Amino acid sequence: MVQKEQEWISIPMTVDVPYRFAAGQYLTKYLVEMRDNGKIFAVKCPRCKRVQLPPRIVCAECHVKNEEWVELAQEGTLVAFTIMYLPLTDPTTGKPHEPPFVYGSVRLDGATSVLDHFVNVEPDMEKVWVGMRMRLVLRPKEQRTGDLSDILYYEPLPGQVRPK
Amino acid sequence: MADRVAIVGIAQTKFAPKRADVSYGEMAYEVIEAVLRQTGLKMDEDIDNSISCSHDIWDGQTISDIGITDVIGGHLRNEEKMALDGSTAVHYGTIGILSGEFECTLLMAHTKMSQTNRNIVNNDAFEPIYTRLLGFDYTSAAALQARRYMYKYGVTPEQIARVVVKNLANAKKNPVAHQSGDFTVADVLSSPLVASPIRKLDIAPDTDGAVAMILASEKRARQITKTPVWIKGIGTCYDAYYLGDRDLAGVFALEKAAAQAYRMAGIKNPRRQIDVAEVGDDFSYQELLWMEGLGLCDRGAAGRMVESGATEIKGKLPVNPSGGLLGGVPINVYGLNRVAEAALQVMGQAGDHQVSKDVKVAVAQGHSGFCGQHQCVVVLGKE
Ligand SMILES: [Zn+2]
Repeated sequence: MVQKEQEWISIPMTVDVPYRFAAGQYLTKYLVEMRDNGKIFAVKCPRCKRVQLPPRIVCAECHVKNEEWVELAQEGTLVAFTIMYLPLTDPTTGKPHEPPFVYGSVRLDGATSVLDHFVNVEPDMEKVWVGMRMRLVLRPKEQRTGDLSDILYYEPLPGQVRPK
Repeated sequence: MADRVAIVGIAQTKFAPKRADVSYGEMAYEVIEAVLRQTGLKMDEDIDNSISCSHDIWDGQTISDIGITDVIGGHLRNEEKMALDGSTAVHYGTIGILSGEFECTLLMAHTKMSQTNRNIVNNDAFEPIYTRLLGFDYTSAAALQARRYMYKYGVTPEQIARVVVKNLANAKKNPVAHQSGDFTVADVLSSPLVASPIRKLDIAPDTDGAVAMILASEKRARQITKTPVWIKGIGTCYDAYYLGDRDLAGVFALEKAAAQAYRMAGIKNPRRQIDVAEVGDDFSYQELLWMEGLGLCDRGAAGRMVESGATEIKGKLPVNPSGGLLGGVPINVYGLNRVAEAALQVMGQAGDHQVSKDVKVAVAQGHSGFCGQHQCVVVLGKE
């Protein structure tokens, strides 16, 4: 007798929920300064003096309202990175980022927080290292859209040699 | 261990169709800052527990509280989220204080309905293999419940329309309400059909906003305010998930939740002992259904009670003097707003929509899931 194979049903479904997120008071100012003036602004806590990115209404440590804005330098230090081999999707376009590519965490000079973004460097462990000095590269002014993609990537400052 | 728990502070945003000017964290901070200022409490010194209430798919973020731990005081300390209606935050916060673990708990519920689409979000509440592919949402499910309730008890469209007329008139006196106005039964019955018998004016509108509340142990409450509102009784109960397992005209879960809350509060005759009710009228017919589930009248009698004027702001048993949810309150915030409005009535601080009679005991009801699957009842009172 032929044993019939057990059938299991599964239903394909795309759960597609459209959103429009309000940037709000703090991130609107940040995005507008970046888009219109090419500047990066952070907030400074009146109590602990931490300079926080992204700008936000409350310092989590002190639970006081952040009201002071400080402009940051656009150079900083790479504190962590990863070479990505997964084609992760950009949810604003639905398109994947082509691997391999590099994500980096950079502490811009003067900031307490780090800001994560792409790093425009060969995805090669010999070409990128923690401690590397980086510069932020924005999109040309006329192409900026007022979101985080106005930052193209970080790029290593020229003339650096990998420490032994 | 604390014997009693009190509401010692309440703050609500103005509810508005679209708050494009604030992120959801900033919107939450509006009410947190206001309730701390009102009570004179400090986040680091006084608040020892925080509970938020929101919904991942509405917020568009998994574990929707992780992005607001800074504003709610959850940084490097305790914060937990109730993924249910805001009334359950009151239930959970009260239990924490009664356990003796906490003395002063901040509750906050928020939702920006404007950032996505209610029909899509609510469709995700349905079981993916079974009725989800019908496109079902809360409104279509509610329409079945409304039809069943009207059929079983002979409730008329005019009686249900009276709920809308009453609540939108009450909302005129409530400064946080999003919509209000002088409507007639005829206006309601000629508003566009959405899912018969439910019409546009029968549905709580999409809105954005937040509510914060502080609960305290008896000892702390006495130090904080002269007008503590005591949580006299709480109860919750789930009904079946599948609509097909329930009698949609039934109010089984609400009766169980109410029985629990009334037993704790020593309420034997809710019709005599309760002075005012704030119930979850996501849809107008639900105000009637929940009045019956709360035992404020006999089964099937709520329509006639509304017609008699007894539930008006000046009536014998006012229901939703705030304008209810039909005045515009965001989903997930619904229940915390119900409790807040009931508490304001007990404090005598409801302003223009304060009921005429003296309020000693108020009841608030919130629910989660389609057709009120989960029910939460909170009884509030003076000394
Ligand atoms: Zn600080």
